[in-house]
Amino acid sequence: MWKDMLADVIGQTLEGFRQEFAEFGPRLLAMTIVLVAGVVFAALLRLVLRALLRRLGFDRFAERAGLPHALGKFGFTGQASGAVAAVTAFVVLAFFVLLALGSLDPLFARELVSRALAYLPQVLVAAALIALGAIVAGFVRRGVLIAAVNRGLPSARLLAGFAQSALLILFAAMALEHLGVGRQIILVSFTILFGGVVFALSLAFGLAGRDLARELLERLARKGEEPREDPLRHI
Amino acid sequence: MSPPLEARVEARLDEIGTAELLVGIPSYNNARTIGHVVRAAASGLAKHFPDCRAVIVNSDGGSTDGTQELVASVNAATPRAILVRHPLTTAHKIITPYHGVPGKGSAFRTIFAIAKRLGVRACAVVDSDLRSISPAWIELLLGPVVHEGFDYVAPLYLRHKYDGTITNSIVYPLTRALYGREVRQPIGGDFGFSGRLAAHYLDREVWDSDVARFGIDIWMTTTALADGFEVCESFLGAKIHDPKDPGSDLAGMFVQVVSSVFDLMHVYRDRWEGVASAQKVPLFGFPHGVGLEPVSVDVERMISIFRQATRDLREVWEAALLPSDLSEVVALSAADPFRFPDPLWVRVVYGFAAAYEHVRLPREQLLRSLVPLYLGRTASFVLETRTCGAEEVEQRIHALADEYVAQKPHLRERWRG
Repeated sequence: MWKDMLADVIGQTLEGFRQEFAEFGPRLLAMTIVLVAGVVFAALLRLVLRALLRRLGFDRFAERAGLPHALGKFGFTGQASGAVAAVTAFVVLAFFVLLALGSLDPLFARELVSRALAYLPQVLVAAALIALGAIVAGFVRRGVLIAAVNRGLPSARLLAGFAQSALLILFAAMALEHLGVGRQIILVSFTILFGGVVFALSLAFGLAGRDLARELLERLARKGEEPREDPLRHI
Repeated sequence: MSPPLEARVEARLDEIGTAELLVGIPSYNNARTIGHVVRAAASGLAKHFPDCRAVIVNSDGGSTDGTQELVASVNAATPRAILVRHPLTTAHKIITPYHGVPGKGSAFRTIFAIAKRLGVRACAVVDSDLRSISPAWIELLLGPVVHEGFDYVAPLYLRHKYDGTITNSIVYPLTRALYGREVRQPIGGDFGFSGRLAAHYLDREVWDSDVARFGIDIWMTTTALADGFEVCESFLGAKIHDPKDPGSDLAGMFVQVVSSVFDLMHVYRDRWEGVASAQKVPLFGFPHGVGLEPVSVDVERMISIFRQATRDLREVWEAALLPSDLSEVVALSAADPFRFPDPLWVRVVYGFAAAYEHVRLPREQLLRSLVPLYLGRTASFVLETRTCGAEEVEQRIHALADEYVAQKPHLRERWRG
């Protein structure tokens, strides 16, 4: 008798498992297909977008705007077209992942998608702020570097790097603020970091740049004096 | 299109009717020197063109130091004592504020408009901060137009061998190579031109651009050369200015001058592409040597800035220079003795011209990054010519100008991108 009972339990278990698998299997298969399709689509999109951007001269534009150097600060190396294509492919892949999850649990996925869509505008604005920040910071960095070299300041690269970093931090803080990520923490961290950098630079300038400071002050003091002619007339 | 003139000026023009000659003096806070310039112009007109109806136009940019009042108070017919004979007519004076974009170009536009309105045959424009102008300058600038039928008279000054280094290393040789005519001081500041050319200038639609602000000198010369007008030079002797504001930085001035030349390369591409040689233009006046004050040059500082730039600005220069040229430039920083060879310098300038045309970087940043290269080149020139006399230095500059011509195929290639 106990043999019949055992067979019955095993049979029911197997039946239950079969039924659950019959129900879940297609979902799993659908999820796998969607994921694979997503990976393939994202990879193709990345290739096509990169080629298209290169053809449209995006790398030259980005070079002009100083984008590669700014992206380098975030760990991106290579050409700007590659970075943009990779980010776009990643976003598309993320949507495919959501779709794949929807294959398993439509209700959960629907909620996830609606939340993601509601959050999307903030993400786009934050991304735009980062991109703008990278462009502005790159432009300013190059301007400061050239001006400092033309003035003969030995710490030209340091000054240019500081200007760029400060702007990148500022724009990153604005982007995170927009995303609503730890607002207070970001504000406090930014204030401490920025204040610290300014203080450190003031100290560095005071200690290491005494000659430069003296020269600047002397130049300011000379402003009211009679104009003196540059010994070399260039034009 | 002519700029608007004040009712007072219109009335004065109606009163004068017509004139044969005009001397224009643009000004802005030049009370210290403009009296001398107006007197020299009036004396020159009276002495050399006594039978001609002439006007002196002061086109002022809103001076606050009494420049206009000073011009008004100068008797345009004096000093009679130095005249060979008394003029039949007195030179009229017109004092007018100019309208439009602030700058020397807008001042000139008003002068061109008045020249056209009065139907003058010949005009001259002279800087208002000159200390060395004499009445003879008026004859030298107007004479070739009035007597010989030339349309444009460029000045030729006697300068110290280290004076005008942007002119000597870029503007003169590049203009010569581009347009095939040898004008030694294309941005001299004092010019003579015909009424026909003044009307031509006035009709060009450039008066809201940088030409109106700061690029008028090279624009006038280039337009005259490229549009086929008859051009000559007049030797004026030494040019001595009022001291300039020491706060005006080299980089800003450099960008203004070089961007004007490069902008004109874009406008006149069709004219310069086919030019393969350069000829001299006729010279008037009597070239002579006079003592010039020695010029002290801080070569070490120039080289130091150049060397620093070879370390810090490579990433910027990559936008303009070929890899081989960039390597050569970087290698110069270790050269002893320090030398910047002519062929490399010419390729650098042509590379930057092409990069400027194709906007490979924001243009102002691109040109500012050229300044350390220019300083390196200038330092090399000073070191090479330390013991040379003026004539030998002039030969060196001429050799550089020939190098610009020889490398023109390289420019065409880079220009096409």
